[in-house]
Parts: sequence; structure tokens; C-alpha cells
Amino acid sequence: MKTGKEYWLSLRDKADTPEYRALVEREFPEGTAELALSMNRRTFLTLMGASMALAGLTSCRRPEEEIVPYVSKPEEITLGNALQYATSMPLGTENHSLLVQAREGRPVKIMGNALDGRTGTASTVWANASILGLYDPDRSQMAMAAGVESSTQAFIGAWTPLYAKYVANGGEGLALLCRPFASPTLQRQLDAFRAAFPAARIATWDAVSDANQIAGHASAFGRPLRAVYDFSRADIIVTLDADPFGTEYAAFENARGFAARRRVETAEDTMNRLYVVEPSLTQTAALADHRLRLAAGRIPAFAASLLHALAARGLAVPQSLLDAAPSDSSIDPQWVDAVAEDLLAHRGSGLVIAGRGQDPFVHALAAAINSLLGSTGRTVRYGAQPFAVESDPDSVSALTAAMQASKVETLIILDGNPVFDAPADLDFRGALANVGTSVHVGLHRDETAHACSWHLPLRHYLEAWGDVSSMHGQIGVIQPLIEPLYADGISDVETLALLAGGTLQKGFDLVKATWQQLTPGLTDRAWRGILHDGLLPRDVVLEAPAPAFDGIASLLRPALFTAPALTADNMEVTFRLSPAVHDGRFANNGWLQEFPDPVTKLTWDNAALMSRSTANALGLNDGDLVRLSCAGRETPMPVWVMPGQADYCVTVTLGYGRKHGGRVGTGAGFNAYRLRGSKALYHTTKLTVGPAFSTVKMACVQDHHGLDLEKMAREGVTERLPQLYREATLEEYREDPAFAKERVEMPALRSMWKDHEYKEGHQWGMSIDLNACIGCGACTIACQSENNIPVVGKNMVLNGREMHWIRIDRYYNGDDDNPGVRVMPVGCQQCEMAPCEQVCPVAATSHDEEGLNVMTYNRCIGTRYCSNNCPYKVRRFNFYNYTREMPETVQMAQNPDVTVRFRGVMEKCTYCTQRITRGKIAAKREGRTLRDGDITPACEQTCPTGAIVFGDINDPESRVTKEKQRDRDYALLGELNLRPRTTFLARLRNPNPKLEA
Amino acid sequence: MSSVNTSHVKTAAAVLEEAPLVQGGLTFSGITEKISGITEKKTPQLWWLLFGIALSGTLVLAGSIGWLFYEGTGIWGLNNPVGWGWAIVNFVFWVGIGHAGTLISAILFLLRQKWRTAINRFAEAMTIVAVICAGIFPAIHVGRIWVVYYMFPVPNQMEMWPNFRSPLLWDVFAVGTYFTVSFLFWFVGLVPDLATFRDRAVSKVKKAVFGVLAMGWRWGNRQWKHYELAYLMLAGLATPLVLSVHSVVSTDFATSLVPGWHTTIFPPYFVAGAIFSGFGMVLTLAIIARRVFNLENLITVDHLEKMNKVILVTGSMVGYSYIMEFFIAWYSGNIYEVFAFINRGFGNYAWAYWIMFTCNVITPQLFWFRKFRRSIPIMFTLSIFVNIGMWFERFVITVTSLSRDFLPSSWDYYSPTIWDIMTFVGSFGLFFTLFLLFLRFLPLIAMSEVKGVTPEADPHHYDHGHAHADAHQGGAA
Repeated sequence: MKTGKEYWLSLRDKADTPEYRALVEREFPEGTAELALSMNRRTFLTLMGASMALAGLTSCRRPEEEIVPYVSKPEEITLGNALQYATSMPLGTENHSLLVQAREGRPVKIMGNALDGRTGTASTVWANASILGLYDPDRSQMAMAAGVESSTQAFIGAWTPLYAKYVANGGEGLALLCRPFASPTLQRQLDAFRAAFPAARIATWDAVSDANQIAGHASAFGRPLRAVYDFSRADIIVTLDADPFGTEYAAFENARGFAARRRVETAEDTMNRLYVVEPSLTQTAALADHRLRLAAGRIPAFAASLLHALAARGLAVPQSLLDAAPSDSSIDPQWVDAVAEDLLAHRGSGLVIAGRGQDPFVHALAAAINSLLGSTGRTVRYGAQPFAVESDPDSVSALTAAMQASKVETLIILDGNPVFDAPADLDFRGALANVGTSVHVGLHRDETAHACSWHLPLRHYLEAWGDVSSMHGQIGVIQPLIEPLYADGISDVETLALLAGGTLQKGFDLVKATWQQLTPGLTDRAWRGILHDGLLPRDVVLEAPAPAFDGIASLLRPALFTAPALTADNMEVTFRLSPAVHDGRFANNGWLQEFPDPVTKLTWDNAALMSRSTANALGLNDGDLVRLSCAGRETPMPVWVMPGQADYCVTVTLGYGRKHGGRVGTGAGFNAYRLRGSKALYHTTKLTVGPAFSTVKMACVQDHHGLDLEKMAREGVTERLPQLYREATLEEYREDPAFAKERVEMPALRSMWKDHEYKEGHQWGMSIDLNACIGCGACTIACQSENNIPVVGKNMVLNGREMHWIRIDRYYNGDDDNPGVRVMPVGCQQCEMAPCEQVCPVAATSHDEEGLNVMTYNRCIGTRYCSNNCPYKVRRFNFYNYTREMPETVQMAQNPDVTVRFRGVMEKCTYCTQRITRGKIAAKREGRTLRDGDITPACEQTCPTGAIVFGDINDPESRVTKEKQRDRDYALLGELNLRPRTTFLARLRNPNPKLEA
Repeated sequence: MSSVNTSHVKTAAAVLEEAPLVQGGLTFSGITEKISGITEKKTPQLWWLLFGIALSGTLVLAGSIGWLFYEGTGIWGLNNPVGWGWAIVNFVFWVGIGHAGTLISAILFLLRQKWRTAINRFAEAMTIVAVICAGIFPAIHVGRIWVVYYMFPVPNQMEMWPNFRSPLLWDVFAVGTYFTVSFLFWFVGLVPDLATFRDRAVSKVKKAVFGVLAMGWRWGNRQWKHYELAYLMLAGLATPLVLSVHSVVSTDFATSLVPGWHTTIFPPYFVAGAIFSGFGMVLTLAIIARRVFNLENLITVDHLEKMNKVILVTGSMVGYSYIMEFFIAWYSGNIYEVFAFINRGFGNYAWAYWIMFTCNVITPQLFWFRKFRRSIPIMFTLSIFVNIGMWFERFVITVTSLSRDFLPSSWDYYSPTIWDIMTFVGSFGLFFTLFLLFLRFLPLIAMSEVKGVTPEADPHHYDHGHAHADAHQGGAA
């Protein structure tokens, strides 16, 4: 049969082979069987077409081999030019507004959507890495029915009779388990589901959530509210086992506000002060001015003591509250008093934050203190997240109980992996056996998929329609960037609509319908505007309610204050979300597995973190594999000695030890969920640690061999760190604003020849403000995504061969027991007198006319001499051909502007030279000179706090020039006369004089 | 003839203050018989055994290099701070070994140190073989072997030259020049002996091969004149090279900014170390060879003792350098420098440092005692120690400095993999394979030169007038 084409795309096209026709049919699904499954987005796009400034949303997924140009080119695509589309990434009830860069129809880079005032162009580690998640070769590609390949269509066939049955009986025997979300469309579908099946059970579960906070606030305010912090107005911040800049809700938004209050430009500026009380070093502790290490179970006592100290200093605390929360004299009274005094001296600008793992009582108490200090409405406001369904751990317990009692005939698990991450005491997996029909809809054929009778592939957020809402009211659209990679599959909104309505509806129609309800009279033009912007700002007033103190008192459980002392036989275990693989959902993401934990710097593994003295008492050392036992449950876990850890308190990271985690995630780390019970999701006592029965090699990108340096080496480190990482207290800075420059005695450095003068053109430079850097590592992953940096695997990391172009160096300061943490992003410093350039025998690394130290990969023969001679050790060598076995889908995630390096080649940070070139070309085409800010390297773009500033140092008005003129500016190892183009702004601390020993 | 002369030589020895350089009453023809005989008699079984072992080692080397080319430098234990490991250590080690030959041939020749004749051929051959072993490593250690020619200034379509500022490039030239000159020097010295072999050859193949190699040598006066002039000129050319090669190799380290590498003392220190290690290796081989081939009369204990003195001197120079490095580091007041040296002595590689220090500085001091200088077992053991120590010196310099440089966040520990070890062991295989081939097929002692230092060659000195007027011509007998 001839298709009668007149124009042809390629020889294979012309030949019109059956294979090619099959390919065409898959690519252009009009009139094919796939149409029933996918939204008719293409028609929609045709209609919108050119009138949208940026949006074309063309996502023609062509096979890699086809490199012939379009004969008739889609209007909005210029080969080689990137297009950017706005979308949103949901993560629990949180979401990130994104701008996604697509190349020839392939999304390749995630950036923050600058229109979202919360985070600007910043995007988190998880958002940055989600591009790799999209192309994950282990994503589920085919529906499964009882372990046999099936299709979503087949499931729809199976669901139809069930639907009729449950509509008839009101949903008796039907249950839905979903992840928490904040989405107008999902909520509308869930309402429809509830309406259709009033008797159905609905449970929401996320392994880690803010349920405690919401419960605490529910008691304090009478309504389930979330707190929204405004760190930019907070002068004194006290965190109670919280990690507001790390893994907790709205971390980037918080960090941005916090950094704004740390921006010290002259000696007259002031800055905030951060007190951290916690059992285990968090990323937030890296910013602390003071830190108190305290077991998680003792945090309520601290909060109560703080309340009493405040009352003792004249704060009008209601007696009922004081009675409810007894003071505890064993908590360092000097510390508590100092904090109380500081808070009282800054009424209205204090902020007390309780961590998500803390009891609702602590949250309520924090809310009460904030209210009493007059901070409510200023540094903290409250609200219920619009369109949100929050995680409800109790609902899972109830659901599991019902499953065990065989009251659930049909269970739909929409996204989520409860077999892996549900509390171990519930035995979700066992309960699942009693369910007649279990349906898992997920991105992967994970542990839950294997245990369910049906599995449907879920669409990735980058290939499906959806929407999200935020605490600030704005709602965002999730729009697909690419035609679904795999033919079979269903999106979350489609799933819920199918369940509630019995028929498959297109995601786009569902979302559009929701938005028509949200914004009555939504015109096509307005809708296109929303799609273009990716979000719709709406005013939602956050409130400043007064707490009901009686309600808080009612939360009191005496057990909160009467915990027995921790000993080797009664240790505490705290569970923490992984900064890398989250709760395990990102376990198959190589970038994230290899992402060093911001504090421990471990990759590919989790560990039982314990203090040096605890490890000594137990006779354990780094990498010893031990059995952790708690309440009759146990799990193996390697030991990692961690400074700053409370004694007899073990912290474990969740999300590792996946059994069906895919080629990357399976076998990485150990499963901490096996230890976690439903009664104490975040911390509990009565943990015992068995003797070492084996050892595990731990891949730490720093301290490659633990903390066990010889005495002389420790002394050497101690001696040099003040020169490498320069910091001072605010007072010291005011006395001597040039302290950073004076830290190292440096004679006038001269050149032996006439230097290049850079009289015209650009001269690039970078400034990194150590006072703003929170050490989150988003730059590392953004850089990895932008520059096609390979993942090398645990063994290579163990060998010290990780490839990150920008790393976050982490140092400790002070004593082992409770050290300060210092973080420092280090990429290529682009030295003017680059030691690498001089020693390369083949001139593969050389200087360009804009001052960049550039690598010519084609010329590199791999002597590694440049790396040896680099004092910053930022050069990375391809010891093997790391991209040889890169799956085809992952190849699609590569940035076509950046060479994929072959084995035997040295590579390093280039200040994103490809972006510099694009910026210059764009300016030239527009016939103008480059403006400051036209070019942003990936690291600067993704930095939540604006710590990284890049620009032209030849331009006296550029931001980077201004930053470099600050008195805190210093060059790392500047005394070597390398004249690095990246310089740092020294860090300032703002300690309380009363606590400075 | 030899039996007649024995008594005369013995008598002559009695009147000399120093023992004669050739003992055992060997006459010219006796020397010829002795040296040529080694290559002419049936291949001994011991040779086959040793050759078999050495060849296996070479195969190990070939296999390791093959795997290296297939997989990449990742098979070695290298990591991010430690970009150079055993490959570079071995390179410097073998280049160092390769120092003794030319030193003995050229500098001692110019200094009229006649005792050199017993060992110079042998040492030169060792030099060439060692430089071959050394030359392998910089080539194979690169990441992309297939473009290693970028290192050479080959005119190309990119109009790109190598970077002449890079010490690695200087290495290419320095080692290349050294090899070329050493080879020429060795070959020129061989010509009269090759002619002897040609004249004695019975098989046609040998006659043809040695005939070509002897380049028409006819023992003519004019030939001798040209020959000696050429030899002298080559000696003059080679002399600065002895000093320059290892000085240039040391700039690989000295011109960098890595604490522990960035040291001005390196050029003389490396040269002294190279001579030290070269003599160590010559000594090891000479002790074995004189025993196996019964050359005790040609390579006498006196010769060995002289070498031991050189070892003592250069070992002490090396020891001085070690101590001076510490002093300068302390004196500089630079915390990174100070740390680099304290770290060597007491850090994560302290064990390597103290092996080095013991073998290179402490044990050679035994040679202050004449008894030890003349004791074969002692000197054999010490010569092995010298080689161990010098290998560790290069390891200590290369690896400890890199493993802990400026930023503690990048510090890491380097351990070799099985491939590092096999490549190193394999390089010994290659060394001995080539060396055994030399022993089997070429004159391991410069017959013509040794004859020149026999008492017989100096007829006027003694009153037994039946020596030949021209010792060299007599050597053709």
C-alpha cells in the first residue's frame, strides 16, 4: 500500500518500509489505536500555533539516528535553538515552578520559573534531577496484569464492570490510596470520586510529611493550617529539630529569605542570628550561629524550658501553658536563657520553628511562642494550602487494618510505594494479600507494583497535564514537554477521572475544565497566557490567627517529658528524608544517587549516623555493618561516625535499600523503613545496635577515608582552614572590614611578563558569597544536567573518581561533639595564571581572549598533569568511557550544546561557555551589547540564595564587579599568584556574645 | 700464548701499587676467547630458564598494556587528587636506572677512569634497556594513546604545535635525545668487538649479521683514529646529557606548584639519585653476571668496590637532599610546604617514606667500611636495597605530594591495583628479556677496551719486552 507521499523526510521514509511505517505511526498517532490513550494535544497546538510567544509545545520525539533536517519545518522550531516552556513539578503538596528547556522536542534542562516570586530561577536538586527521571530507562513501559504484560486499555476494560458495581454499592469495598497533592484538578477528581463512591475508603500517605505540624496547628488554631515563614523579616531564628533550608517544606523559599537577611554589604549592615537545636547535623546547621545538640525526644523539653525562660523574663505566658509544659533543668540553662533573652530583645522579629518530625505539641508550642513574641503575621503566617490533600498517616493505618480484615476488595494505589515505605508494623504487603484487586499506578514497577494484581505506568510530570497550587495562592499548570516516551500509560488526573467517571478522559480536557471553573470566563487568549507563564497568581490571604492555649495544653502527653535517659541499651533512632533520593522515589536516578549528602557527603548509601563517643562505646567504626533493632523490628545498616550527633542517638536516612528500584537504585543502601513503626514515624527510643557482623565500603566524596586522620594531618588541616575558608563574626568584621584580605600575608605579586590587558571585550568572573551559600548542592546537579556530566557509580566514587564540576566542600569547625559546619562551592576558578595551562604538553587547555581557561577535548591526550597541578583539584578525568553504556533514553537528556566526553579526556567547569556563546550570539543578532545578567551559568541560575554571581568584570557596573569590590572579597589560595577569576566573599557569623565561650 | 704470559702478568702485578684492572693473567686472546666464548658456546640451560621467566614477564607487560588500551587508565588505582601513580613512578625509576651506563661510559671515560672498561658495555646495555622500559610508561599512561603523537612537533593540518612550556614535552625531548645518544655511543663502542665476532663467526647468518653491524671494520690505523675521535666526541656529547636528562625529568615535578614537588633542589637531587640507583642496578647485574659467566678476573672486586664508593657518595647526596628538603620547607614558613614534608615523614604514606629513607640513606653508610665494600653478599644485598629505596623515593615524591595537597576536601589515598603491579613486574620482564638477549648475542664486556687496560697493553712500563706495540691490533687475535 502506498501512502502517496510527495515529500519525504529521509531515505528510509522514501523507501516506505513496514518498519518505517510503524515508526511513523507511533510518532504521529492520529487515527491510530494510541489516540484513545493520549490527549489530543497536537490538534490543540495546531490551533494555538504561532500566536504564543514561546509556546509551541512541539514534542516530536524522533529517533536519535534521524538527523536530517525538517523539509517542512514546524514554525516554532529552529534546529539547534532551545525553546523554553513553563511548567510545574509537584512533590507532595509542594511544587516548583519551572522553565524547561527543550531541544528539538526533547526537554533537556530544568530551571526555575522567574515569574514565580517564591524562588525565581532557582530549582531544587530534585527538580533539576527530574529530567533524568523522565528518561529513566527503567520507568514502567507497559501495564501489567498479574505479572503478565497487558495494557491500560485492558485495565479500562477490567474497571468498567467494577465501576458499575461500586457505583451501585456506593463504593463499599473500594479503597484509594494516594500521595498527598495540591492540585485543583486532582482535588476536583477526588471530590468526584468521593461523590461517586461515598463509602469508599480514601487514604493519603507520604513517608515524610508535615502532618505533625498541621495537627499541632489544628489544636492551636482550631483549623489544620500550615506555617509560612518569612525569613527575610526574622532577626532571631530558633529551629527545633528542623531543617527549613534542607529537606523540609519550601526550603528554597525559606533559604532565599534567610540569605536576604544575611546580605552584609557594608560594616553598617545587620544580619540575623540562627540558633539550631537538633539531634543530628542538618544542612540548616551549616548556617547556624549557635547549635545545641539534643536528642529528638528531648526537644519538647527544650521548647518548654524556652517557654519558661521567656516567662521568667517577663513574657506574659498563660499559666495553663506553663503548667502543661514543665521546664527541664537538665537542658543547658545558659543556652536557653541566652536564646530567650535574644528573642525578647527582638520582639516581632523572632521566629521559632519546629521540625516536621517533632510532636504536634512542639509545633503548637512554637506557634504559641511566635504569637506571644508578636511574630505571628510578621515572620510567620498561617494558611491552609488551597486544593491540597495532606498526608494522613492515620488513614493508612486504618486502611491497612481494613485490608487485613478483608474489608477492601479493590484497592487503587495512585502513585506511591507503600509496600516499600509504609510503616513496618502495619505489614502493608501482608495486608495486600487480602485485597482482591489491587491496582498500582506508578512510574516504576516498584515493590508495590510487584505485589499488586494490576500495574499501570504513570506518566511523568514532564509528559502529562496537571496543575498545582501553592501556599501563596498562585496556581500553576503542569504541561507536557514531550509526547509520552512510552505508548502505554496514564496520568494521575486521568486515573482519578477514570476511577470516578468510568471512562478515560484526556488530561488536557480535565485540566482545562478545572481552570474554566477556577477562572470563570477564561478566554482562549487568557488560557494561552497562563500556559505561557506557567502559573496564575491569585491572592490568598495568609492569616495571623491567635492560638488557643487550652487547645495546645490538650496535646500534652506526659511521655513527651519523661523519656528515660539514653544509654547503649536504650538509644534513640531518628528517621530523616534523604536529601538525595527523597523517600526512595528518586532511587533510580543516577545523578541523585551520586549526589553527595550536603552534610555527610556520602553517596550511593545511607548509614546509621552516630557520634564518636557512641561509636566508641559500642566499639564500632565507619562502615561496620550492624543490626539496628527496635520494637522487634530490625534492619542492617552500616555505621558512619558523624560529628555533631547527639550521644546515643542514631540517625538513619530513608529511601535506600530498594528491592525493585531499577538498575541504579536496587541494592544502593539499606532499608530504614524496616525499622519504622506507625506510632513513631520520626524518632523513637529503645533502639539497640548489634555488633558489627560485616563491613560496607562507604563512598564518601570527601574524607575518603573517614575522619580518621593522623594527628599531624588534623593539625595541618586545622592550621590551613582559616586561610581557605575565611570567616569572622559580625563584630570582628565591623572592627576590621578587610579581615578577609588580611588573613594571609601576601607580598605584592608580580608577573614576569607583560600581562594581557583585556582592554576591550569581556572578561568573565564569578563571585561566591559564603555568607549566602546554604550548601544545598543544587548547583552540582544543575551543572551535571547542563554539562552532560556522567554518573560513575559507587565503585568509582570509592576510588575518588566522581565527576562533579562544582562540588560543595564541607569542613567542620570546632570540637568533634558539636562542630560548626562550613560549606564552600568549588568549581574551576578560571585562574588568569592558570597552572594547568602551563603544564599541558599538547596545549589542550588554554586561555581564551575573554579570560576563560578553556578545555579542548579533541586535543586532550589525558596526561592528567593539569589536574595534578591544579591546587583546587577541580579537574575531572574520564578514567573510563563512562558514557559507553548510556541507555538510549538517557542519551536524550544530554545537552546538545556540550560535547559528551570520551574516555581519557580531562574535563572541568567552563563557566558554561556554551551559554556565554549563546548569550553573545543573541546580543549580536539584536544588535546590542551584552547586558549584565544576560548570561547565567547553570550554577548561578539554580542557586536559591543568589550566592553565585557571574558576569563581566570588565564592566564596572556589573553585579560581579560590585561583589568583587566588597571588602569581604578574597581569592582562595590567592597567595599562589594564580589570580583566580572566581573569588569568594568571606562568611560572617553573628554569635550571641553571651554564648561565646 | 696465554700460558706463556701468565707469569709475567703476575710479576707485573706485584710491582704495581694498585691491583691490575684485569686479573687472572688473561692475555688478549684469553680475553677474546672468554667474552666471545660466552656467545659462541651452546646456549646454557640456565639462560633458557631465565629467558623463559623474563619473557613471561614481558608477556605480562604486553597483556597489561593491552588491557589498559582496551579499558583505559581506570584500571589503575589513580583517582582525582592522585593523577599520577605507578606508571610515572616506574618511568622515573627506569630513567634513573638508565643513568649509570652513560655516566660510566662518558664521564668516567673523560675522567680517564680506566676501571670503567670492565663494566661499561654492560652498563650501557643496561642503560639502553632501562630507557626502553622507561619510555614505555609516559606513552601508555596517557588517557588517549591513539593521539599520543600530539606530543611530537609534527607539522599538521591544525597548525598546532605542542606546548613548549610543558615539562612533559621537555621530557619527550630529553629522554629521546638521551636514548639516541646512548644508543649511538653504545653502538660505536661495539663496532670493533662486532668485527671480532664477525671474524670468528662460523655460521653464514652470523657472519652476515655481524658483517653488517661491524660496518666494514678492518682494524686499520686510520679506522682506529676515527673511531677514537668519534668515541671521544660522543662522550663529550653524552656527558651533559647525563646531567640534563634527570634534571629535566625532575622539572616535571619542580616546575609545578604542588607542595613537595615545587622544589628547586630537585635537579641535582634527581641526578644524584639517578646515579645512585643506576649504580645499584649495575652492581646487582654485575655481581650476577661475573658469577654466572666466570668473569671474576675481568670484573674484579676492585671494580665493585669503586662502584660502592660511588653509591656511598651519591647515597649521601640523596640523604642530604632529603634533609635539606625538610629544612627548606620549615625555613620557607609556607604552611603547605611544611605540611607536605611532615606528611611524608609521619602521614598516611610514612611507611613508604621510611622504607625509602632506610634503603637510600642508612644502609649505604655501611660502605664507609672497606670490609663491607668488598663483601659480595653485603654489596649485593645493599644494591637491591638501593633499588627498592629509589623506587620508593619516586613513589613518595609522586604520590604523597598529590594525595594531600592544598584543599583537604580533595585529599584521598592511592592504592595500586593488580594492573599497576603487573605492569611494573612486566617492565622487569622486558628489561631482563632484552638484557638476556644482549648477554647471549653481544659481547658483554668491551673486549677492545679491556685489552687496552691490561698490563700487556703497556709494554714499556715493564721490562718484559714481548708485548705488542699496538694493543688494539693485538686484540684482533
